[in-house]
Amino acid sequence: MIEIIHPGWLSCIVDRGRYGYASVGIPPSSALDLYAYKALNLLTGHEEDAPVLEVMGAPFSLKFHEEVLCAITGAKVQATLNEQLIKPWTSFRATAGSLLQIKEVMEGFRFYVGFSGIMTLEKIIGSFTTNIECQFGGYQGRTLACGDLLHFSEWKETDRRSLPEREIPVMHSPHRLRVVEGPEIHYFTDESVKRFVDRESRIIYDVSSKTNRTGIRLEGPPLSFREEVEKSIISEGILPGTVQIPGDGLPIIMLYERTIGGYARIAMVVKADHDRLAHLKPGDYVLFEMVSLEEAEKLWEGKRKSITSLNKTVRRLS
Amino acid sequence: MNLSRYGEDGIRILFGDVIDLDVHERVRHFFFFIKSLQREEIIDIIPSFRSCLIYFDLQQTTFERLSSLIMEKMQASSSLPVVPDPFIHEIPVRYGGECGPDMAFVSSHTGLSENEIIDIHTGITYTVFAIGFIPGFPYLGILDQRIQVPRLETPRVQIPEGSVGIAQRQTGIYPFQSPAGWRIIGLTEVSLFNDRKEPYSLLKIGDRVKFVKV
Repeated sequence: MIEIIHPGWLSCIVDRGRYGYASVGIPPSSALDLYAYKALNLLTGHEEDAPVLEVMGAPFSLKFHEEVLCAITGAKVQATLNEQLIKPWTSFRATAGSLLQIKEVMEGFRFYVGFSGIMTLEKIIGSFTTNIECQFGGYQGRTLACGDLLHFSEWKETDRRSLPEREIPVMHSPHRLRVVEGPEIHYFTDESVKRFVDRESRIIYDVSSKTNRTGIRLEGPPLSFREEVEKSIISEGILPGTVQIPGDGLPIIMLYERTIGGYARIAMVVKADHDRLAHLKPGDYVLFEMVSLEEAEKLWEGKRKSITSLNKTVRRLS
Repeated sequence: MNLSRYGEDGIRILFGDVIDLDVHERVRHFFFFIKSLQREEIIDIIPSFRSCLIYFDLQQTTFERLSSLIMEKMQASSSLPVVPDPFIHEIPVRYGGECGPDMAFVSSHTGLSENEIIDIHTGITYTVFAIGFIPGFPYLGILDQRIQVPRLETPRVQIPEGSVGIAQRQTGIYPFQSPAGWRIIGLTEVSLFNDRKEPYSLLKIGDRVKFVKV
């Protein structure tokens, strides 16, 4: 069993997500950084997708009430176990009574904490992940709070493991996001599209403080709609990474909490850059770069390989 | 039917440009047809007013392969796919007062009395065109022109579960306490979403909804 002592700014249970019911509006609500999620599972001995904690912001701390293997991935953090520095992306054995503290997030935004024990939680609609807005899944359908107790029902016995430093992705600002054209890109003036993605003159956006798990709001000079178009569309399906432009002209990058949107979709962030979205924090800089679908597919092929080869790159520590 | 790519792993199938029942029927038939194929490479499908968005698994197929498979299957199916009969739901609503904080606005905007608005709102059997933004939320249409109102300039931060709203040509019911940009005219006690019981949502696309004043 573990006990949450300090939940950070926001922490919740996540997994690979909830799929198959988008037609009745059920969104994936998955972990935002799926590379960090996969690595974490491997570091703690899970071949399958186990539930883990997704935490935003420091300080975060939890107490172990029994011995378990634990690891932290995602954002670069300063973490200690009983005041001794521990290495992220490397599993460590925590004994009963020990205290894990994340004192500072140095690079990136969200970090993930996982255990060799499988947390005793109920799958709701096929997933352990938390739909925070609608209060189902995860731990009692809500974000974690001080004093929450998470029990383990089953243990994966495993050696300590580590991911080599070179396999840890970069997560710092500025974030250069590659995008492909969205269905309503022609709703915007040529000048605006150019300012959105042109290498020489593109807008450098700031991540707004209104950003949340549903979407990342950006601030900067607004884009202009063509005079003849409506500023909203007939509501339609969207996928994670869709960049919507509401009437105010400022982009919102949609994450994993919506199935339908009603704003003009200027672009979609390429799949290879989706994990990076987990690490856009208020005040960071964001730039967009347009690529072709062929390039996007190549980028994804590279990323997919790095995810599938995690099985090999995660090494046993002797 | 117009197929186009939506990012690396999406296919957008467009059936028209407007909100109307003919376009909706085509969306609905296509949606149930795709569901009936039970293809493993299709992870999800999102039907809405004028399109279906298919989310597929890039490890199992490509845009080209899946698009041509869909076209082939469509041409090969000699008869129309089996489409479930729409279910008609009666939804009791308490209108106005504390249950409908925007009733006064709708009344002044339309020049109609509260009773006239209620008569018009309950006078139509609506069609479920899409379900989403939040789980179980039905986009219902088509609202009578006389009570069409704009959305709120600034959405409310929180409205109670069961709130019945109107906006432009649509009406809908909020299954959860949530932020809302539509004008709220009433409240229902009917539960639209149950995370413990399949199919989770009370409504499916194509179902009909009739509001009844209580």
